[in-house]
Amino acid sequence: MRGTEMTPAPEATAATDTGTATGTATATATAEGIDAEGAAPGKAAAGSRRRSWRSGLLRGRIELRHLLRNPKEMSGHVINVVVALLLASYLHGKVPGTHVPMAHLTLAGFSAYLLFQIGLVNLPQILVTEREEGTLLRLRATPGGIPAYLIAKSLLVVAMAFGTLVLLLGAAALLVDGPLPHGPDGWLTLLWVSALGLLAVVPLGAAIGAVLPNPREALALIMLPTMALLFTSGAMFPLGSLPSLVQKIASVFPLRWMAQGLRSALLPDAARAAEVAGSWELPKVALILGAWAVAGFLLAIPLLRRAARRESGSRLSERHRKAGLSGSQGA
Amino acid sequence: MTTTEHPTTTAAASTPGAAPGSGGAREGVVQVRDLRMSYGGATVLHGIDLEIHRGEIFALLGPNGAGKTTTVEILEGFRQRSAGEVRVLGTDPARGDDAWRGRVGLVLQYWRDHRRWQVAELLAHFATYYPHPRDPSELLALVGLTKQAGRQVGQLSGGQRRRLDVALAIVGRPEILFLDEPTTGFDPEARRDFHDLVERLARDEGVTILLTTHDLAEAERLADRIAMLVNGRIRICGTPAELARRAAAQAEVRWTAPDGTARQERTADPSQLVWELHQETGGPIADLEVRRPTLEDTYLHMVHQDDGHGDGGIAGDGTGAGAGAGSGADAPEGKERAA
Repeated sequence: MRGTEMTPAPEATAATDTGTATGTATATATAEGIDAEGAAPGKAAAGSRRRSWRSGLLRGRIELRHLLRNPKEMSGHVINVVVALLLASYLHGKVPGTHVPMAHLTLAGFSAYLLFQIGLVNLPQILVTEREEGTLLRLRATPGGIPAYLIAKSLLVVAMAFGTLVLLLGAAALLVDGPLPHGPDGWLTLLWVSALGLLAVVPLGAAIGAVLPNPREALALIMLPTMALLFTSGAMFPLGSLPSLVQKIASVFPLRWMAQGLRSALLPDAARAAEVAGSWELPKVALILGAWAVAGFLLAIPLLRRAARRESGSRLSERHRKAGLSGSQGA
Repeated sequence: MTTTEHPTTTAAASTPGAAPGSGGAREGVVQVRDLRMSYGGATVLHGIDLEIHRGEIFALLGPNGAGKTTTVEILEGFRQRSAGEVRVLGTDPARGDDAWRGRVGLVLQYWRDHRRWQVAELLAHFATYYPHPRDPSELLALVGLTKQAGRQVGQLSGGQRRRLDVALAIVGRPEILFLDEPTTGFDPEARRDFHDLVERLARDEGVTILLTTHDLAEAERLADRIAMLVNGRIRICGTPAELARRAAAQAEVRWTAPDGTARQERTADPSQLVWELHQETGGPIADLEVRRPTLEDTYLHMVHQDDGHGDGGIAGDGTGAGAGAGSGADAPEGKERAA
């Protein structure tokens, strides 16, 4: 019988029309497109490096401006400072065994904590959000985009840290008779402890930002351990008053050493009597913060690379779809 | 699947006014040979061949899950392929450096980034990454966003946002632009505006464009050439006119056999078939119908036919040799050539 039975078996007639599975044959040789760009590779590379530095610095400045103009985000940072000031104004009494006001110890500890928070809470949150929105992917699609992004973020973090410290210590000194470094040595210590402290937590924060799933979960996952460390690292009250096991655990993490280093910068030398070791242990501070910085960099570089590599349009749309399903986000 | 000499390759080289400075020889801006992609055990691309010429608008048309986005992401250098040869502007995208990136522009489906930035500020910023950027304000005029220059990116409508994405993608004067499902979710007016923009880019700016779409009308409207990608295979490729001709080359003949069953057959020579049917049945043919399918019929047919295998976008069989689609597609080739 002629023809194919129509109804039950559409496959039988399938693809009789146009169905060549082959696309366009590639007849031309592939080895053509080397052109002008390849002529002076060294010069071109130097030019693009310069460009990504310039773009990165520009980007950092613009992001900082956006941050300063965003009341919601700014209030988050300002509230931290206000809480620290309120706490300091309510605290009376001296650090046990010294003439140093308790409020000074807390303010030094809070300064360390705010640096800690910028690196391990604010930065991962920014990274996760921008990863999810496609910022990272857009920069990956742009020549020199990823280096510029890292430069901009470094600038932003340093500016945030500097701004927070100036705001907290300045306001504390003016309003609640807060501590300020004594002499050039004290300022120098403040500078290097802050810088090394940031270096210890920022790469770590970047690594966390590279692996956390989404901004909301990210916040929940990071906030808890961070708060726990705030209360166990001797930032709020002397470390010596805590059980020794808690002391030992807290001593693994950078916050304890950042707080101790900042106390050495901000409190009078006599206050070291209240330290667990009876001294500021500055070499140890430098060593442990330095170790965290190295470990953080070693961790962050492959994780960030992986995060950037894994981003693609389909992952963006996948997340978009999920967000659409949960009904939270419009296009 | 071997690379067969295809009739459409040469015929497609007729885009007027394109290829500035390339002389007579057509340069393959995108060259893909036997591209394969598998995730785990599932194969999503079964050996794709593509060649896109300088200055043309090329549409990769196919249903959701056909492998369009995967293909584009491999060309963009965002995804590692399993096998095959890929060159974009003469470079393997998997090894594309910054200089290469600067010559490639791309627009993704769901970019929601930089929402706090002002439109003009963002465009001016991205201009700084390129050695010879376009003028940002001219570019805003080109994509029709001059009035929105001071707005925050997050406040743009879907269509405006996508046009900004195009502006960002072309601010560095790329030679090729990838648009992945650029008009998904657009209202008709936004869609028309976007189509006009794409045509202007190709015609006036000489940008080579590869766009993916599941909308045949969009592909026909915009593309110099269309490749239909179904279930990880390019099933047909050519200019819209060629495709329409080839779709119509095979007439569909339907009739009812003496035993009462409905029958159909596709043939290049319906007259001959009907004549033979007459001979066989020795009388009038019941419910005889001869029809030339449109391109849309062909497209829907291919999509539907692959759905019939029940495996959506991912074919379970890596080689495709035993699959109905593979053998069914290869068999009639001779017949089609003869036509």
